[in-house]
Amino acid sequence: MNRTRPVSGRFSSDDFPTSTTPTGSTMRDRPQSSARDRGDTLLEIVLTVVITAISVSALVSALATAGTAGQAQRNGVSTDTVMRNYAEATKAAAQDCVDGAPLAVSFDATGFKVATTPSPTVCPPPTRTQLLQLSVTGPTGVTQTMSIKIRTP
Amino acid sequence: MTTHEHDAGAHRHEDRGAALILAVAFVVMIGAIGAGLAALVTSSVNNRGTLERVRDRQYAADAAVEDAIVQVRAASTGGADACQSVSGVSRTQSINTWNMRVDWRSACGVIRGGDGLVLVQRDVIFAACVDTNVACTDSSVIIRAQVNFEQAASGAVTKTYVQSWSMNQ
Repeated sequence: MNRTRPVSGRFSSDDFPTSTTPTGSTMRDRPQSSARDRGDTLLEIVLTVVITAISVSALVSALATAGTAGQAQRNGVSTDTVMRNYAEATKAAAQDCVDGAPLAVSFDATGFKVATTPSPTVCPPPTRTQLLQLSVTGPTGVTQTMSIKIRTP
Repeated sequence: MTTHEHDAGAHRHEDRGAALILAVAFVVMIGAIGAGLAALVTSSVNNRGTLERVRDRQYAADAAVEDAIVQVRAASTGGADACQSVSGVSRTQSINTWNMRVDWRSACGVIRGGDGLVLVQRDVIFAACVDTNVACTDSSVIIRAQVNFEQAASGAVTKTYVQSWSMNQ
């Protein structure tokens, strides 16, 4: 083939031979873009990101809630233990008390505040019991209350 | 269509629906994790509620037994009845939101004193349970206690001694 270079320096498609595939079709027969080959649209990607973000945020929220619930459970159990110990200390103090004497409860739990109502408490006579309201406030500010009865032996 | 294009098209055809399966699997996985966490939180809350309820009930039973001891003490007469079969019921209302019942019965105790004399002791066995208007049973008893009532020669109770105190539930 005898070709001459165009004066303008630009080439046209006719300047090059077409390649032929083994089946006889030429590269020029191949479609430039197929619908199947198109990538995801921006809308699809945005929707995917949004749905994923919602799912992950829901999961993280659930995890945070579970963590908070676990912490509350632990605080509740700790407060319950302190309440039981305080009640036993109060009952034990009453066993060593006599009618009319002040009830002296020796009890300390680090981080917890305990209180008895009525205060100050006077030990009852052996012929009756005394109703007390105990309250325990934990480090997180959660307060539990419980009633007990004491008596002198 | 070339062979190469035909194979690729077949692959694409087989892949159709995979995105839906993946999406469903993802949603199921997130749902399962969320359900598990919800169950965990619910369990924690229930455990705490149960713990407080049991504690309140135990100390309500404790208070009911204390009331019963005082009542038995006040009702005690002379030492002659120490070994008589006496029983009774004591009730304590609305403590820690529980109504309690205490069934008690006397138990005869005999000891030998330091001077060799046989002494009769007045012991009483108390059984506290939630008040359902029926007698406490072994399965319903919360606290079972045995208390000794020390009596003077006049029969008046001078002091009480807790001999046993068991929390059953």
